[in-house]
Amino acid sequence: MMPDKSSSAEDPVYLNSLKDARFGMAFWAIATTTVCGLSYFLGYQRAGQKLTAADINPILGIPGWFFFSVLVPWVVCSVVCVVYAGFIMTDEDLGSDHTEALEQEIHEGKDVHELV
Amino acid sequence: MNSSEPVQAELATFLALILFMVISLGLGVVANYVGRVQSGFLKSYFLGNRSLGAFAVALTAAVMSGGTFLGFPSLVYKYGWVVGLWICSYMVVPVTVLGVLGKRIGQLARRTGAITLPDFFRERFASPLLGLITSILVILFLSCNLVAQFKGGGLILKLVLPQSVHAMLGTAEPGKSAADKMSAVAAAASDEATTKAAATAEKPKYRANTWEDRAYVLGLVVFSITVIFYTAYGGFLAAIWTDVFQSLVMALGVMILFPLAMNAAGGINAGTLAGISQTGDDSYAYGPGAVRAFHPIGLAVSFFVMWAISAMGQPSTLVRLMAFRDTRTLRWSIIYLTIYNLLIYVPLIMIFVCARQILPNLAKSDEVMPRLVITLANPYIAGLIIAAPFGAVMSTVSGWLLIISSGIVRDLYQRFYRPQATEKEIERASYLGTVLVGVIVCLIALNPPEYLQLIVVFSSSGMAASFLAPAAYGAFWRRANGVGMIAAMLTGAGVTLGLYALGMFLASTGFDSGIGAGGALAPYYLLGLDPCVWGISSSFLAGAVVSLKTKSPSEELVERMFGLDTPPLSKG
Repeated sequence: MMPDKSSSAEDPVYLNSLKDARFGMAFWAIATTTVCGLSYFLGYQRAGQKLTAADINPILGIPGWFFFSVLVPWVVCSVVCVVYAGFIMTDEDLGSDHTEALEQEIHEGKDVHELV
Repeated sequence: MNSSEPVQAELATFLALILFMVISLGLGVVANYVGRVQSGFLKSYFLGNRSLGAFAVALTAAVMSGGTFLGFPSLVYKYGWVVGLWICSYMVVPVTVLGVLGKRIGQLARRTGAITLPDFFRERFASPLLGLITSILVILFLSCNLVAQFKGGGLILKLVLPQSVHAMLGTAEPGKSAADKMSAVAAAASDEATTKAAATAEKPKYRANTWEDRAYVLGLVVFSITVIFYTAYGGFLAAIWTDVFQSLVMALGVMILFPLAMNAAGGINAGTLAGISQTGDDSYAYGPGAVRAFHPIGLAVSFFVMWAISAMGQPSTLVRLMAFRDTRTLRWSIIYLTIYNLLIYVPLIMIFVCARQILPNLAKSDEVMPRLVITLANPYIAGLIIAAPFGAVMSTVSGWLLIISSGIVRDLYQRFYRPQATEKEIERASYLGTVLVGVIVCLIALNPPEYLQLIVVFSSSGMAASFLAPAAYGAFWRRANGVGMIAAMLTGAGVTLGLYALGMFLASTGFDSGIGAGGALAPYYLLGLDPCVWGISSSFLAGAVVSLKTKSPSEELVERMFGLDTPPLSKG
């Protein structure tokens, strides 16, 4: 989805929301690729990789592949989430609430659009 | 555990369920009082006056439900460490589910004045038909789910009724231990996600009882009266507060269980080795899982879509994004949810790997959670932990009940039938609508039709495939229009339903792809991916293509939704 540019693109809430959305999706893509990729190569039974109990290599009792492929990324992602939400995401004024206006329009029969 | 403890645990669970119901009723009364001092009935009743705090948003928008809390341990016990990969996309859920659409949905909900999801889509795209289709889909999906949840609630209460009540009703079930009963409680509360993951060839669970079972009828009636009363009386805030309460109890339960399980098992690695020994499969420690390919890598990717992406499109999530107080609240809710997920789900995996050492060779893996709790914890704490998912069922029911009744009152009654209705009339209609929906669902839950199971199983993916693309396009794409969004909704729902129907048809012919847990309710995994991936991507594609091939939205509408200022609505 490519948001198009127009004269109204300067709305700061829109622009910052777009930044948050891009960050969120990139973050998700990196996490998915990293976790699934590492897990597949370190911890999945597959052709050419027969893992046995001898390959568990536990770290704090946790299988080594799980520790590095899931647990470490989970901790890193948590730090990123906290830093992003705590220090990078901006606060915005979400604007006035038009609930009353819409109520009024419905009441007066003005909330009429074409059907589609 | 001494011999008296099962009995104590049974009594404790019964008392804990009563406690949950009393607290929920109390929260309903307080919520009603709070709602009365706020202005604007509909916004207050269905949206908590857009005043949700960070804690409430974090613990209700994206936290694992009670059913999953019960089903997840069973999967860990059965298939091993790979189940950690099944849930680990929760590491990014706070940023995706709350961060990607949060601010814009919050802003657009205020700009449009929308208080329901159909309201939101109708106003954002200036399309009454889109609003109507949204209402119909939401009501269809959630009503079917509600029937299953009511059934689960009634079944739980039946199972924990004291023997004296069973004897009075002539429904005593001799020979069932406390642990057996509580395991059945766990199964009754399990939800769509775990049902799907652990799909079996058994008949759908809510067909197990009918109106002829007096204990079940009693349980269902008590459950229904409680949940309908506090929801109808307290509205959105009551639903939110009960959700927060049960989430906290579940978190407390995990905190208590973790050190007890580590100590009893003699370490996590002992649990892993016990699992390998008992299943006779080294894959208990690896992917794709012990005994069968429970979670091949394609499904692992799919579950990053399932939890982290599709949750963005759930009506309950979108409604909460319309209801948070301000952006500071949103940011803090991301932080709270991040901490909650890390502290709850990682220990849960370890606890139930350890369970292999503590409770070896359980014949039914879905008994592992209640049995472990009873084995390790004080009976009254055990009762509370086991009862927490029952609280989750209640809060889920109340949230969905409100979404359905808001759809009926706002999007059908007020918009199409009685636009001139006064606020008092709307207030009465809202109370009545919530009660009526609850009563109808309760009556259907006495003997639900079997085909509902299909809708229940596919509804979560189906709703995400229906509503995510319109929400995302609505937030960020000026060129998106009503026709395109109708196409997106119908295509997403159709593709998802089609893959489920195909999977079930193939299963009925004896076909087993070998992926996932298999069984009669397993979908067809096209190219090894879950249907939610295909549903969501096809929905986005259809929305884009149809929008581009049809008329652009009016400049006035685009300016109102994307412009710097928010002029008063004027469409008359």
